[in-house]
Amino acid sequence: MCDSTDSQEQQQQQEQPSGRKRATSKPCIKCKTAQPSVAIRLSVYCKDCFVKSAIVKFRSALSKSRKRAPVSRTKVMVALSGGATSSAMLRLMDDYQHMELKGAAAEPIYAGVVVGHVDESTVFSGYEDTQICAIATDCGVDVVVARLEDVFVPDSDQPALLELVHATIAPSASRDQFCVQLAKNDGATPGRERLRALFAGLGSATDREDMLDILKTFLLTRLARQAQCELLLMGDSGTRIAAKLVSLTSRGRGFSLPLEIGAESRLAGGVTVYRPMRDYIMKEIAFFNLWTKQRSVVVPTFTTGAPTTASIDRLTEAFVVGLDRDFPSTVSTVCRTVQKLELREDALDALPCIVCNLPAEPNAQVWRNRLTVSEAPNAQPALSNASAALVTDVKAQHQSPFDVTAHLCYSCQSLLHFAKPGLALPAFCFETYREHVKTAANSTSNDWHQRQETLRRQIEEFLL
Amino acid sequence: MPRQCDICHDARAIVRRPKTAQSICKECFFHVFETEVHNTIVSSRLFQRGDRVGIGASGGKDSTVLAYVMKTLNERYNYGLDLYLLSVDEGIAGYRDDSLETVKRNKEQYELPLLIVSYEQLYGWSMDSIVQAVGRKNNCTFCGVFRRQALDRGALMLDLDHIVTGHNADDVAETILMNIFRGDISRLGRCTEIATTGDGYVVRSKPFKYAYEKEIVMYAYLRRLDYFSTECTYSPNAYRGYAREFLKSLERVRPSAILDIIHSGEAMHVAADVQLPTLDRCERCGYISSNKVCKACVLLEGLERGIPKLGVSRTNAKHIEDPTANRAVDLVHFETLRRDALELRRIRMENKQTTQPEPDASCQRSACSCACDNAADCS
Repeated sequence: MCDSTDSQEQQQQQEQPSGRKRATSKPCIKCKTAQPSVAIRLSVYCKDCFVKSAIVKFRSALSKSRKRAPVSRTKVMVALSGGATSSAMLRLMDDYQHMELKGAAAEPIYAGVVVGHVDESTVFSGYEDTQICAIATDCGVDVVVARLEDVFVPDSDQPALLELVHATIAPSASRDQFCVQLAKNDGATPGRERLRALFAGLGSATDREDMLDILKTFLLTRLARQAQCELLLMGDSGTRIAAKLVSLTSRGRGFSLPLEIGAESRLAGGVTVYRPMRDYIMKEIAFFNLWTKQRSVVVPTFTTGAPTTASIDRLTEAFVVGLDRDFPSTVSTVCRTVQKLELREDALDALPCIVCNLPAEPNAQVWRNRLTVSEAPNAQPALSNASAALVTDVKAQHQSPFDVTAHLCYSCQSLLHFAKPGLALPAFCFETYREHVKTAANSTSNDWHQRQETLRRQIEEFLL
Repeated sequence: MPRQCDICHDARAIVRRPKTAQSICKECFFHVFETEVHNTIVSSRLFQRGDRVGIGASGGKDSTVLAYVMKTLNERYNYGLDLYLLSVDEGIAGYRDDSLETVKRNKEQYELPLLIVSYEQLYGWSMDSIVQAVGRKNNCTFCGVFRRQALDRGALMLDLDHIVTGHNADDVAETILMNIFRGDISRLGRCTEIATTGDGYVVRSKPFKYAYEKEIVMYAYLRRLDYFSTECTYSPNAYRGYAREFLKSLERVRPSAILDIIHSGEAMHVAADVQLPTLDRCERCGYISSNKVCKACVLLEGLERGIPKLGVSRTNAKHIEDPTANRAVDLVHFETLRRDALELRRIRMENKQTTQPEPDASCQRSACSCACDNAADCS
């Protein structure tokens, strides 16, 4: 089987742009003797050296961070979607965990390795659950699984959800409004239905992909916490990190972006995320899996098989891959850019957005409204009337909607912008919101305090 | 049935606004467009009362709309600015000469004084002659580097405090993307700034930083402004083309993407331990530079010595030799320009009552093409 792929791959090399020198006449750059089998950027490797160097790269990536923070008794969770990169990462991690067993100090490096997996079968049909578990058991590690609909299972004893009442730049409103009301989360509506309604209620494929990312990150960090893992390894390849940098930038996520794609980032809840696969481009991962006979599955997304203009993620992925073909160092250059970006100081103590749980910059809405004027020259600020009407209207129904705009980051405002009214947000949104209100109740700042106090009164009955 | 305007609920809507997808009427479009620019100017505190502001005018849509909007806002909100049109003549036959005619008409239409500085007179090389020497590749490098300096020279000749350019939101978003793709971290930090002080004499800013290109075209079209719309005859920048094409697709997927990219760019923060180039002065012409010799002087030397690759490809950068050999035109040192600008300022302070036409004094010394107001005085 390998032989046949070799010839395929040689064909591929021949199809490379003629401007680049065909490197096959030279021997492998590592052992300097064997015939090369693969070209990664400008270097050629034989099969053995390629696999070895992939392993060494992983070891050095993790050892570097291990030096910074000793890990003797740390448990690690490997996030596994079943896709090529995370499957390769699991195999590499397994090797790393046991690499010193051969020597005198026969002790595994980390206290334990667990696989965390998010089951997306509610949203995507044709999902190969058993195969994914098989990938994990190949390496002999335990698997913990969360289902996407788990985000509607309440985290605490106060079961409530935030339900969107009104989310739009209303014509002639002077600013964006994101009004929500509380809804009971008593389990009368099954999580599966709520999950499907959540995705159906979002405005576009871009928004759905955005939401899926948020849910998966939340579930994985929760799994890690529950399994007492301080470290979470995410399988983002270099190609993916490059595409993500561009797509996150395009979605207005510049503020929190270092947390989402940096090599190491500390997320809320005390879980640290490593992205050790960032030094591998997709091609390397494909060949690594092929030559180590590592299994993987195709992980469907909302835009699988769709045209490139289906969503921002799909478009940026196609673009970055295309650019990397014409300018072969694009992916590594973009990844280096990511390394040079860091969180702004004010992001460290910014409140997290209630949807994505990443730091939200204050005044995001002010910025947007200044630059998108939507009112007539001498119009009265329409908001006061509109919200007054809204309040009286719903008071009759014994409900009390409140504005959560200040608790949403810039990008999540866009995410909810075209969402349908009545959309119920995941349970953790309410939990984070409640945290905000509690924090505000303790703070002494008058203006903010006053505003929060009114908000607090609205949800008083839910506070502990 | 005709649609009503989403904003005033009165007039008939005639455009779908690219930024928000609202259907609005003509007057409301003018209102929101102008107010957004005004908000940008006010919130960024771009100007001070009494500032002498040059509008970088190419005759294209962006700068024509910029000149019109600046003049309108200056009167409406009483900024108290002295406005000037400042044009650069790159010397591209069939392109710049025609667009400069537009600028000259704008000068009459908007009643603003105009100064044109030309490559030919500043550097001794027009773009046409540069292309003859360099070929069609890489000539944009020359044009871009020379234009930046030419504008600053023009600004000093007029003793301006400020230059505004017509860079729009699409341009800024495109630059952010391009700097990400190229990993140019120092430019990534700089390119989102609305105003740059450069060498500390003249501030440069982009009041259209948040204005969509499409809306600028729409504005020019609906106001029936007189502008010139032809692409430059020399090849467009290939790498920027990639970013531009990508941005257009992004805008189709989500119209707010352009603004979102700028928002991201502004929020990004370059790690403290990343080394950024330090700014210094060019030892030959005194212009701001991160190297000993500024890019314009290197390129110019390459042209003079018949090795146009100098300064374009990295390997040749070391071969800079003789500072002043065979210069076609003696490049006026920036210190001289600055001294003259201060002198102009002093004279102006003295005769505050009698308003003198400004450009003439500078013309006597500097390479001005004398298309300025009082051409007769210049000779």
